Amino acid sequence: MANIAAQRIKREFKEVIKSEEVAKCAIRLELIGDSFTELRGEIGGPPDTPYEGGLFVLEIKIPETYPFNPPKVRFVTKIWHPNISSVTGAICLDILKDQWAAAMTLRTVLLSLQALMASPEPDDPQDAVVAKQFKENEEMFRLTARYWTSEYAGGPNENQDFQRKVQRLIDMGIESDRACVALSAYNWDLERATEQLFS
Amino acid sequence: MFILDLILSLWRSLAGLVWFSNQNFPKSLSVYIRSNDGKKLSVDLDPKWDIKSVKEIVGPKLGLEAEEIKIILAGKELDDSTIIEEIDLGEQSTVYCVPLDHKGKTKQKSVNKILVNLPEEEVITFHVACSHCHGIKHGKLRVRCAECKSGAITVDRDPASWSDVLNPSLISGHCEEQGCAAGPVAWCEFYFRCKEHVSADDIAIPLPLIHANLRSIPCLACNDVRDPVVVFECSDRHTICLECFGRYASIRLRERSFVFSRQYGYTLACPAGCEGSFITEPHHFRILLQTEYELYQRFAAEECVLQGGGVLCPRPGCGAGIFPDDDCNRVACQCGYVFCKRCLEGFHIGECGERDSAAEGGTSGGYSVDPARAAQARWDEASKRTIKVSTKPCPKCRIPTERDGGCMHMLCARCTFEWCWVCQTEWTRDCMGSHWFG
Repeated sequence: MANIAAQRIKREFKEVIKSEEVAKCAIRLELIGDSFTELRGEIGGPPDTPYEGGLFVLEIKIPETYPFNPPKVRFVTKIWHPNISSVTGAICLDILKDQWAAAMTLRTVLLSLQALMASPEPDDPQDAVVAKQFKENEEMFRLTARYWTSEYAGGPNENQDFQRKVQRLIDMGIESDRACVALSAYNWDLERATEQLFS
Repeated sequence: MFILDLILSLWRSLAGLVWFSNQNFPKSLSVYIRSNDGKKLSVDLDPKWDIKSVKEIVGPKLGLEAEEIKIILAGKELDDSTIIEEIDLGEQSTVYCVPLDHKGKTKQKSVNKILVNLPEEEVITFHVACSHCHGIKHGKLRVRCAECKSGAITVDRDPASWSDVLNPSLISGHCEEQGCAAGPVAWCEFYFRCKEHVSADDIAIPLPLIHANLRSIPCLACNDVRDPVVVFECSDRHTICLECFGRYASIRLRERSFVFSRQYGYTLACPAGCEGSFITEPHHFRILLQTEYELYQRFAAEECVLQGGGVLCPRPGCGAGIFPDDDCNRVACQCGYVFCKRCLEGFHIGECGERDSAAEGGTSGGYSVDPARAAQARWDEASKRTIKVSTKPCPKCRIPTERDGGCMHMLCARCTFEWCWVCQTEWTRDCMGSHWFG
């Protein structure tokens, strides 16, 4: 890896470690291996959102052309959000694409992602299904997002109704993640989700 | 009397010894002296000498007394007490020696130093793009008469900014050249020379974005405080070290993501993405390796053709730029290849599309070969097939494009058209909704 990229990451890593956000447990960053090409980020779900109380893990890959090109960031923890793919964890955020600038850092990326969690932009979706739900039935979206947070990100507020429905599909031989995606997509209508899964 | 003679001869030999040691000083500087009537002579100077000693040597050679001449370098008369090694005088530089016409001169700061407003002690370096050395080198500022191009000119006013230096006819001077049509009052013309090779008269291009890092600003990319730095012309005056600037240019070149601006050509903006921060002097890209710089020049030329509505000959190894007629799809390149303007395949009558088999016919002759074998024995066939299998053409400019991961949203690296890998048409919200990730 090019020297400049590794050197920058070293500094940025220190910057995050010393930052006040880390002190407040809002973000975390750790290195994977010692090559400074791969990191693991963690962001706490912002308060007053369906993600509150959850801890979301990110995969961060640093390209050789860093900082002139953006880091590749993906949610490892599954999340229900209009701008994050519910299947792959890919993120739709302008600063991770064409709006990236060499003056930005891993700290600004993590904070921007936290801000994105707090204010989704359904008109620029990464996940069309989630975006549709967010626009048409916001209450359903909030319940679903909160369920995903408790299920995958260790958040509180277990929703026993939703859990029961997922269990019903698991009993039919459906893998649990697939069951969760199908139910979420059909507003927790068990019948329609079943129909879709078996069609 | 005898003793007096002895002392005198002793003194002479001592003086001779001093003279001798001076002449053999290891770092002698070979400099041209030009007079205002066209005489040119070469002298070897000791860098430790002052200007007064230079006058004593040069004056008699031009048939003048030392007190009657003045020595001009870069638009400034040099003071008697100035030591040669303190000024910006390189090997085989030319200084001008003209008869004195007025008395009572004041000590002047050298032009090089005034431009960056530095204290006299600081040594300042300019950076220039040198076509001889292929790259960014240290440069020296020089001035000549805009009319007769002679350096025997003294400036009336010091340049205070880059604009004073880069724009002609802003600063007047006193041209001492005999027979100058504009003299004695003439416009000064500033120019630069490369400091790193012995140059008779080749001119180097100044790079005003490269600064000495006097304010110890850390680099935008690596955060180190380095010297020198490139300072962009955005409102924040973002600063990047020269090494990172080189990397930035090289990365963007390989991605072919320089920007073509009608005003400034093929260029880059500040890496922080600021508005209005284009590099207006493309010679800054001399930071690239020579091979990369040649690639830069090729891309720039291609971009210019494409933006102007032209096409590039698709024949491998040709790539000539052609501006075809609006009403005809048949383009004949000077390399002999005739192709269709729309699909960039060999020229055909009718719609563009599947015509591979039809074009296979050829000249008869030679001996008969099994067509199947002949098909296998074609030199470029394997790579042609690989390109065909692994790429799709950009729907707009037809450039074969490879997708090596990520989503289906393609951004053409050549024409910046946004298209869908699945539909092979313009990228739409429907693509986003139904098959963004395949």
